[in-house]
Amino acid sequence: MSKNKQYVVLPCNGMDKAAGCVTRELALALTEQSGSEIICPVLFHVSDARYKKLAGDHPLLVIDGCPTRCASKLAVEKGLKVANKLTVTEEAKTNGIEIGKSLRLDDEGLRLVKTLTAALLRVDDVGESRQLAVKTIPADVEYEIYQKDKFIFRLPKSGFFFNENDCWVCVNGDTARVGVTDYLQQSASDVSFFNPPALGAKIEQFGTLGDIETSKALVEVVSPVTGKVVAINEALKNAPELINQDPYEKGWLAELKLTDFEKDKELLQDFAGYFPILKRKVDEFHVK
Amino acid sequence: MSETTFMGVPRDKIDWSPRIDYAKCNYCMDCVKFCPHQVYEVRETEERKLIVKNPVNCVVFCRACSKTCGLDALSFPEKNDTIVKIKTIRKEMEGA
Repeated sequence: MSKNKQYVVLPCNGMDKAAGCVTRELALALTEQSGSEIICPVLFHVSDARYKKLAGDHPLLVIDGCPTRCASKLAVEKGLKVANKLTVTEEAKTNGIEIGKSLRLDDEGLRLVKTLTAALLRVDDVGESRQLAVKTIPADVEYEIYQKDKFIFRLPKSGFFFNENDCWVCVNGDTARVGVTDYLQQSASDVSFFNPPALGAKIEQFGTLGDIETSKALVEVVSPVTGKVVAINEALKNAPELINQDPYEKGWLAELKLTDFEKDKELLQDFAGYFPILKRKVDEFHVK
Repeated sequence: MSETTFMGVPRDKIDWSPRIDYAKCNYCMDCVKFCPHQVYEVRETEERKLIVKNPVNCVVFCRACSKTCGLDALSFPEKNDTIVKIKTIRKEMEGA
C-alpha cells in the first residue's frame, strides 16, 4: 500500500465564517494524518522568509473557505506554484453537506472535513487513463491575426470550431481536444491555476469544463461540446502559463469522447463565423 | 456596449443575467469592480445600493461575477433552460 500524500497546506483560516473554520480543521487533519505542513496565512502575509522554502518542499495545497479566495490570492501575490486547491463552499455543495453558520464546527462540518481529508490523502492511481491524450491538433496550425494597438489575437484558420464563450474544440474521429482562445486568455490575464474537470465526468455542451484562475478572475470554461472527459492536460499542473503562451496547442485543457458532434456543431462557429465575433469583442472590450 | 446577438439570437430575447439575493448581499461591490460590461449599477443613496442595470450586457453563460461573491448572493438561470430557449428561438427564426 502506498503511504498518504503530503502537502504544504495554505488555508485561508478565515475565522469569521464557518467555511473559513473548516479550512483550519482540514489543514489540521491533513497535518495529523500525513505529516503535511501548514502555512499560516497571516504570518505569511507579512513575512516571506519562514514559508517560502517550505512551500517548495511538498506540493502546495491551497484551501479557500469561500469564493473571496483570500488564500488563492495570497499564493498568487507571493508567486507560489499551486499544485492543488479547493474551495470549501463548493466542496460542501458537491458533497451535499450543509456547513451552517456556527464557527464551532458541528457534525456536518466535521463530516465534510473527514470526507475531504480522505479524498486529498488518497494517492492518485496515475494510470494510463490520464495519459490517453490523442494527437488531435493538426501538425501545422496556421493562424490569422487580428491586431488592436499592441495586442495581437491569433485564431487558427482551419480545423477548429468555437463557441461564443471563446472556447475552442478540435475534433479527431469521436474524440475532441478543447481549450480557450487567445482572446479569452489575454482578457483573463496571467493564468495561475487550471482546475480541471474530473476524469470520466460527463459534460454537456455549454456546461462547465473546469475553471481557469488568473490574477484577475476565476473564469469558467464553457464546454463547446457534449462528451465524457477522457484526458486532462497534465502539463498544466506544473505550467499553467502554457494557456497564456500557447492556448491552441500546448495549452489545451482536456479531451472528451464525443456524444454527438454533429448536434454540437449547430451551436458552434467555424473560423469564418467566429473571426468577426472575435473582432467585435476586441473592438468593444479594448476601446473605451 | 452590449453584444447584439448570441448564437444568432437577439441578445434581448435571452434571459441571462445575475440575480441578487438582497438578504445575503452586503454591498461589498466586488462583483461591480469585477464585471467589465457595466451589468451592475451602484446606487449609494438608495436602500438597494446595487442593481442589475443592464442585463443584456451580461455575457450569456458567464457567471464569473458570482465567483467573486464570498456570500453566494448572486445566482443565474439554469444553463440548460437557456440553451433550450436559444434553440427554440433559432428554430423559430429559421422558420420565419
